[in-house]
Formats: sequence, C-alpha cells, structure tokens
Amino acid sequence: MQKIREIALNHITKWEMVWFGLIFWGSIFNAAAIYFGINHSPVLWYFLGLSFGVIAKIRGTWLWKI
Amino acid sequence: MENLEPVAEEFSFAKEKEIAKSFSKRFQWEMILIGAGQATIWLSLWPLVIFDHISLTLGSVIAIICACFAYLPSHEAQHGNYSRGNPKRKWIDTFVGHYTLVTLMFPYEVMKSTHLKHHAHTNNPEKDPDYQTASARSLWDVIVRTQVGTAKYEEVAETYKNDAAFMSQFQRGAVVGLIYRIVLLILVIIFPLQTLFLWWLPSKIGIIYLATFFSWYPHYQVDTGRYKDTKFWRHWMPRYLNHSMQLHFVHHLHPNIGHYDEPKAIEALKPFLIARKVPGAEEIPERVAYNPLIKL
Repeated sequence: MQKIREIALNHITKWEMVWFGLIFWGSIFNAAAIYFGINHSPVLWYFLGLSFGVIAKIRGTWLWKI
Repeated sequence: MENLEPVAEEFSFAKEKEIAKSFSKRFQWEMILIGAGQATIWLSLWPLVIFDHISLTLGSVIAIICACFAYLPSHEAQHGNYSRGNPKRKWIDTFVGHYTLVTLMFPYEVMKSTHLKHHAHTNNPEKDPDYQTASARSLWDVIVRTQVGTAKYEEVAETYKNDAAFMSQFQRGAVVGLIYRIVLLILVIIFPLQTLFLWWLPSKIGIIYLATFFSWYPHYQVDTGRYKDTKFWRHWMPRYLNHSMQLHFVHHLHPNIGHYDEPKAIEALKPFLIARKVPGAEEIPERVAYNPLIKL
C-alpha cells in the first residue's frame, strides 16, 4: 500500500501540470467553445489544454517565473 | 526564547504575558460562525447555480467573498484557539479548521504545519514558508508569487524533511490536497464553467487576498526576532475589510489572543510594545477597538 501511494504521489508530483492542463483547461476550453457557439471538435480544446499543461511543466510554472 | 534587549521591570515578559493571557480565554464563537457560515453558503451556491436559481456571475461574486473569509477561522483552529487546551473541544479545532478551508481548496494539516513553522521562523529566508510572499517587492510581485501553486510546498517539505512530526502532519495534509485536486478534476468534467467560477477562480482570488494582507503587509521590510518580525501598519482600506491585519503583530507575539480580542489587547499592551520597539508601535492609536485605522 505504501509503495502504491509512493508511486502515485511521485507520478502526480511530476505530471500534475500535464494532467491538470488536459483535464481542467481542456474541459474549460471545450465548455467555453460550446458557450460561444464555436463548432470545433472537443479533441481540439482538450489538445489545447494538454499543450498548456506540457508548456507549464517544461517552464515549471503556469505564469511568470520568479 | 531568543535573547531580547533588556527592558524596565515594569515591561517584563512575565507581565506582558499575564496581560495577554487575560485576552486569551474567550470562546471564539464569531470565528466559528464566519468559518462554518461561509463554507455552507459556498456549498449551497452549487445547487443554486446549477439549477438556475441564481446566475453564475452572482454565484461567482458570492464565492469570491466566501473565499476571502475562509482562512482566518481555520487559522484560529491552527493555534487551538477554539479548544484552548480542553481535549473535549479539540474536535471544534479539527472541524472548523478543515471545513472552512474547502472554499480555498487548502488542506488544513498542510496549512497548520507550515503556519506553525512560519511563527517559529518568521522572515527567515531559509525556514519561513511564507518568506517568498513576505519578501515580494510589490503587490504585483505578491500576485505572481502566489501563483507558484504546489511548488512552494514541495520546497517547504524539502526544508523540513528531517522533522518527523512536521512531515507526518504535512503528508496527511498532502493526501487531503490530492483529494481536493481529484474532486476538482471530476467536477470540471461535469460542470466546467461552474467549477471555474465557483471554485477555481474564487480560490485564486482568495489566496491573493490572503497573501497580500496576511503575509505581505504585516511582514514586508521588517527584521527577524520576536518583537521585530511583524509591524503595525495603516492602509487606505478600513481594517474591517482586510481582517484587521494591521494588528497582526500582536498575534505573532501572543497567538492565543482571540482575533476579535486583539484591539483591546493591543490597547492594554501598548506600553510594552513601545518599550520592546515593535515596528510601528509608536503610531498605535490610544483607541484601537472600533477604529478603522485608515491612512490616506
């Protein structure tokens, strides 16, 4: 159990921004597109969210570096 | 306690503590009401918005106000100011401490463990978990520094990795933090815009409010040391709108004084504060209670 917890926490610590970009920002972009009547595939918006997450992971921050 | 500058016997630490203790007894019912109240209002916003009883815009504004009221009731719990050493009342600390922070998505045990380290090492660049915010160069810098998210807590965990008691509490809190994250990601799939405007955005604004008034203003450009690490300050904003953080210095000296008893305690302790050269103590007005402490 301890091992599983450790693996899960390590994964989340390393990849949290990527998952957050994909799921959180992907869902937000998709919902905003629907709200504004933009008819593109949801895949595009989730891919955009994923890209945000990958960029944030590479930069180490979502916004400005301190 | 660290070596302090000598003061006249009439201002001794024992006498100061005796006065402070007289303001550290009252049951903090207002804080429980505010903490449990804001969290309940915030929770009720979800069905109200989802079932179109109120607009998302109104819901978001209310959620932001709730987020700004969310931390202080938990902060009292972190210092055990509800139970005041009574084991039968310990559950109140735990309940209020956890419940009120739901609006900010903050895990209580992470907040408690890091906050107690902040008290122990205020303004120490290596050991104070709030130093990044307290040392910000401007309000904009505060906002930028609050956006680092969990990275701040990874650094704190690295600093205190050999402190077993700290790490145990911190890791319990990290699990709660992970649960918050999972709930957020589930909710955003089902209710995307509601999650953004009722939880994520209010939480971010609440954290900026918190960092600005609780960390930055009281600790900015002051030294380390018991009587030097927090200052009395004034602001254009009436203190009722920034949780009276102009008076935060007395909390650092005597954390068990109830938040709403601080003005009276400062009035009583003013000669001690001046004798100890607390930054800004000379400017403390004779009457603090019901004084908005505005400075234009």
